[in-house]
Amino acid sequence: MHQMIEAETLTKQYGTVTAVDGISLSIVRGELFGLLGPNGSGKTTMIRMLTGQVRPTSGSARVMGLDVVEDPIRVRELVGIIPEQETPPSFLTAEEYLHFVARIRGLDRIDARCDHWFDLLEFQDKRDVLCKDLSRGTRQKLMFAQAFLHEPCLVLIDEPLINLDPIMQRKVKDFLRGYTSKGGTVFLSTHILDIAEEICDRIGIIHNGRLLHAGRVDDLTGSGRHLEPFFLDLVRGDVGA
Amino acid sequence: MLVPDLFFAMMKEEWRIHSTVFGGFWFALFPVMIVVFAFLGSLTLPLFSDAVPYTVAALLAQIFFLLAGAMVGSFGLMGREFMNRRFGQASLIAYVSRSLPISERRIFATFLMKDTIYYILLYVLPFTVGFAAATPFISIDPGYILLAFASLALAFLIGLSAVCFLSTLYAHSVRLLAATLVVLALALFHAGTVVFPPYSFFLDPGLEPLALSLLFILIPAAISVLFVTVDYPDQVKRFKNSFDSLAERLSPLGSEHFIAKDALDLLRSEGGAGKVVFSFLLPVGLIWLCLQILIQFVPGIDPLMIFAVLLGVISSTIYNWMTEFDSFSSYAFLPVEVSGVIDAKLKSYGILSLLPVAVLVFAAAATGGAAPFIPALAVLISVSAYTLAVTVYLTGLHPNVMLYHAGVFARYVLATSPVLLLIIFASIFDPLNALGSLLLVPAAAFLLSRSRRGWQTWEISGY
Repeated sequence: MHQMIEAETLTKQYGTVTAVDGISLSIVRGELFGLLGPNGSGKTTMIRMLTGQVRPTSGSARVMGLDVVEDPIRVRELVGIIPEQETPPSFLTAEEYLHFVARIRGLDRIDARCDHWFDLLEFQDKRDVLCKDLSRGTRQKLMFAQAFLHEPCLVLIDEPLINLDPIMQRKVKDFLRGYTSKGGTVFLSTHILDIAEEICDRIGIIHNGRLLHAGRVDDLTGSGRHLEPFFLDLVRGDVGA
Repeated sequence: MLVPDLFFAMMKEEWRIHSTVFGGFWFALFPVMIVVFAFLGSLTLPLFSDAVPYTVAALLAQIFFLLAGAMVGSFGLMGREFMNRRFGQASLIAYVSRSLPISERRIFATFLMKDTIYYILLYVLPFTVGFAAATPFISIDPGYILLAFASLALAFLIGLSAVCFLSTLYAHSVRLLAATLVVLALALFHAGTVVFPPYSFFLDPGLEPLALSLLFILIPAAISVLFVTVDYPDQVKRFKNSFDSLAERLSPLGSEHFIAKDALDLLRSEGGAGKVVFSFLLPVGLIWLCLQILIQFVPGIDPLMIFAVLLGVISSTIYNWMTEFDSFSSYAFLPVEVSGVIDAKLKSYGILSLLPVAVLVFAAAATGGAAPFIPALAVLISVSAYTLAVTVYLTGLHPNVMLYHAGVFARYVLATSPVLLLIIFASIFDPLNALGSLLLVPAAAFLLSRSRRGWQTWEISGY
């Protein structure tokens, strides 16, 4: 099995707060992995460390064979990232923003690539609108497009369906399943359990920076359990512990 | 919501915005820093009293606070999006007319009152306290303390209300603004010698200069409140793709995508041309006017040389425009390094620096001073490069917020003001001495190379 992400006791402290506390996990090619956790549990920090945006306090991580501390730029060249909170620059249009990203990544056939994503995510009519004037849902589509523009083998997504309408949510879920079935790998973080239950192969549950559980969704549902009560029991148990 | 409630909520919000960004302790130290600098600066007044009499020092302080008022006013008051520009799209009190039954006019009036009180407490009061603490040591009548506070507050408020007035005009029509500026310039030209009312009040306290000062504050402020217009960011703007062609043209410079983006940010943001007027040409024009007054008091100085020093400092604030519209977190998920973004911003800055050079050429031509032009140009380039390098070294890509951090601000002042004063005094003896300022260029290069490494480890906070 080809390892796409390998984290070893990854830890991040901000002052006295431990955002991520000794997490180890590995994700293989073609897997759709969901990191679940309540708000503030450390999901975003985990993604930032795995993509070299934030330096771990201790521990190590390799993404596509590259050390994220030693080679963060190369990691971000190879992978696609959809951050949760960042929005595209205000005064570029949607089309200009994709061209901007394509130039940073040194891509060819820029027009064709952009057209593909404007068509797929159904926002051709917004391509000449300034990013600051786009709705949140359209901005999320744009961030989705920029992450896949260079056809990466691995994509890390922080809250993938946020702000998308139900029709587009369905489309994105189907796209992600199709992407992994063709060999792509997805690491997504979310606090919406239904998404994870529906599309993820494996999940990890994080709370207060610690990984409380990691396993296949099939194993959970196959044993007659649903994700929501399992998650709530685990997190509430951790609070009580 | 009653105006007093709105006012106190805005005051609280302003404090929390600043203290959240800089840390409550460091922001609380900012007025303390002003006290210390005003105290130390006042102590040096007797040393330079031959070259700079107290009355001239008072005038310089008035000009400084006039500009500070204009800067506070222009920080965000850029035409239609002034509130949006100032607060981003956050849900702040300035936006409550969207969801609560309060008129934009009432909000803006309260907003102006808040800025008045908040920034007088933040800037004018600490400055006066520092000056007051120094008066026993420099044999100045303590009676001047209250007078200094009143006249500096008046100067500050004239700057603030003038910019609010001009930006309100701009929000309605660029032509109206241009026509008003032309009329004001003609009126100034015909008036001949201009006496700044707060300065007259300081020299000779009386009802007339006080009333005149208040009129210069209240009339523009009232007009800007009555005719305030606010567009919320739900107006959709569409543009054809001009990014690619611009990037192609800039490709010989490298980092063309970033420079093209900076250019479009600048052109398409609501401030656009207004930003150049308010943040650059207006202060520069005011400084030029004040220097014309100053040479009447201090004969023998070369106004072009002092102008070049101040122009260099103000031109370094162009870097703030370059960093106003984005932060590195917008690129952190792309294969981009902080140093790469800093390099691109410096290239954008280099292109825009042609503007201060053009202003200097114009000023030299206006004074017929061809001989001191070369040293003045050397001063402009050196001071601009050095103050920019200090800014980048201390604040990275965040000058708009970091310079309010008391520690950072103190280091900025300590790193720049002695150097600037040295150049000014050296040029008074002989304008050619100013060529020595070129030594600042290698210092700037050193600081910039340190900055590229130092800011490389910048991280996004929050989890």
